[in-house]
Amino acid sequence: MSVIDILTRVDVLCKKYEKYDLDKQWAGADSMSGNDQFLRLYTVVEADIEAAREKSQDAQSEKNRAVVATLNAEVRRSKAALKAEIPKLEKLAAKKVKDLSKEEMAARPDLVVALAQKIEDIPDGVTVGRRGGTWGRKASNPLEIKLDAMHPDDLMRPEHYEQTEESLALRQEYEMRRAKQDEGLDIIAAGLTTLKDMAGDINEELDKQMPLIDEVDTKVDRAAADLKNTNIRLKETLTKMRSNRNFCIDLILIVLILGIGGTLYTYSFSPFTPSFVCLQPLLMYQQSFAVTREQLSVFILNAIVSF
Amino acid sequence: MASDKASNSNPKVAEAEKLVKKADKLTKFSFTKWFPDWTAATPLYEQAANAFKLAKMPEAAKIAYEKAATGQERSSSPWSAGKHLESAGGLARELGNFDEVIDLYKRASELYVQCGKVQPAADALDKGARAVEDVKPDAAVRMYIDACALLEEDGRDQMAFDSYRSAASIYIKLNRYEDAATVFLRWGQAADKCKAVQSQCKAYLSAIIVYLFADNFNLADASYNDCSQMDSFFKSDQNHCAVQLLSAYREGRPDEIKHVVSTSSVIPHLDHMVIRLAKQLPSGKVTAIVDETGHNGLDEDDLR
Repeated sequence: MSVIDILTRVDVLCKKYEKYDLDKQWAGADSMSGNDQFLRLYTVVEADIEAAREKSQDAQSEKNRAVVATLNAEVRRSKAALKAEIPKLEKLAAKKVKDLSKEEMAARPDLVVALAQKIEDIPDGVTVGRRGGTWGRKASNPLEIKLDAMHPDDLMRPEHYEQTEESLALRQEYEMRRAKQDEGLDIIAAGLTTLKDMAGDINEELDKQMPLIDEVDTKVDRAAADLKNTNIRLKETLTKMRSNRNFCIDLILIVLILGIGGTLYTYSFSPFTPSFVCLQPLLMYQQSFAVTREQLSVFILNAIVSF
Repeated sequence: MASDKASNSNPKVAEAEKLVKKADKLTKFSFTKWFPDWTAATPLYEQAANAFKLAKMPEAAKIAYEKAATGQERSSSPWSAGKHLESAGGLARELGNFDEVIDLYKRASELYVQCGKVQPAADALDKGARAVEDVKPDAAVRMYIDACALLEEDGRDQMAFDSYRSAASIYIKLNRYEDAATVFLRWGQAADKCKAVQSQCKAYLSAIIVYLFADNFNLADASYNDCSQMDSFFKSDQNHCAVQLLSAYREGRPDEIKHVVSTSSVIPHLDHMVIRLAKQLPSGKVTAIVDETGHNGLDEDDLR
């Protein structure tokens, strides 16, 4: 635990038990109450009784049986603690305190008795002769261990083993909830068997299809290899067919043919021949043989387009 | 008459008929033709058949397909021949010539076997059987079982499961329960070979249920004894269910039988026709089976 934790915890504890810090409480108070231990203890006990009473009120209005049991246990614990305070009070009551009137002195023991009665009256969920089964005492006092807490007379009473309405209702609720849980579990079981069956079928189907897929795999591999080979061979053939040398030879031959065609046109000259105009530059170029391959191809393309 | 009208309305049909005539001429023996020219005729027949099929003339299409198949066969391509015969079979089913359907599909299957392709052969038999199962269930069942045998020979037992299921369902429909149970047991055996444990257990349980439905407790018991020898069945839920059913039968308590069937977790996962039978159990009079064979010849007083 770090120092900070310790500090915070100490602060919280101090704040919680501020009311027990006598120096703080009564600092600055008048000397009479500063010395009057009885009064102090009395007020403290009264405050505790109030708290216990509040708790018992809560317990009575609470629906949740577990919370009820806890609260009842706490109430009982506080009652026992307070009961332990009573003898102290009595002693203090008998003590003489200065500056206190005779009547008040006489009244104090009565006050103590009244206080004890009040403590007894706090309802803590315990009816005469503790009845009920184990459900009534779910959260037993963690600090107090009571052995043989039952009065032997109580045990012999026939009502001891009877069931209260509350415990009956609790048992019924328990049975109902259990039945509902069983129903739910049945549904889950049915769903699980269906899942199991489906999973088994899927498993078998996969087993069935595995060799098929393997076959398909080998066949596809074979086909892919064939395709690859074919592609390579085709490429080789194409490159052989379409080498540059052959391309140029083809071009020159085309040029020659077009030229011959053009000259034939010029000899049967007709001004309306649309190709005549385009052929003029071609003829000119044909006559001069110092032409590059590219220029030839460009003009042939023009000629083809115009045709 | 109808075909004339159709050919009049549809130029494609007329063309197809022309093709058929041409192909016929190529294949017929004549003075000038000593050998029929199937290689040229076959594509013509195929084209014609397709055209007829599109024009919804199944009769002519079927004939054309058959001729195309013959052509392919002669040209040593049994695969294409088989395919054409299957198409012809489908058309024959439309026409309603169920004998011809069976015949065509069987021939197709044989051709596939010739190519060495067992799976398509079995598929062809299955298709044929399915086509005729309503009209000729006996022939259909035989075809299913032949398909199963084909696949088992080839070692592809798992593909046979569907055929087994169809065969068993036909037998159940025909109320031939012993045969159905036999098919189920064979199914179990095939499943055992390919380690399909779930199918195996289901098949055995189905067999037992069918025997019980047929009121044949002894056979059911005997088959259960056989099946329980197998480890994979013995450890399964289906075995548990079978034990319960048989003990309920042995004690002769119909309410117990009904209870077992309704609360069982494995019966709803069987084939639906078996589930139907199971729901109708007990089908006959259920009496407590007295165990007569219990003593096996040992006499109490025989204290030797």
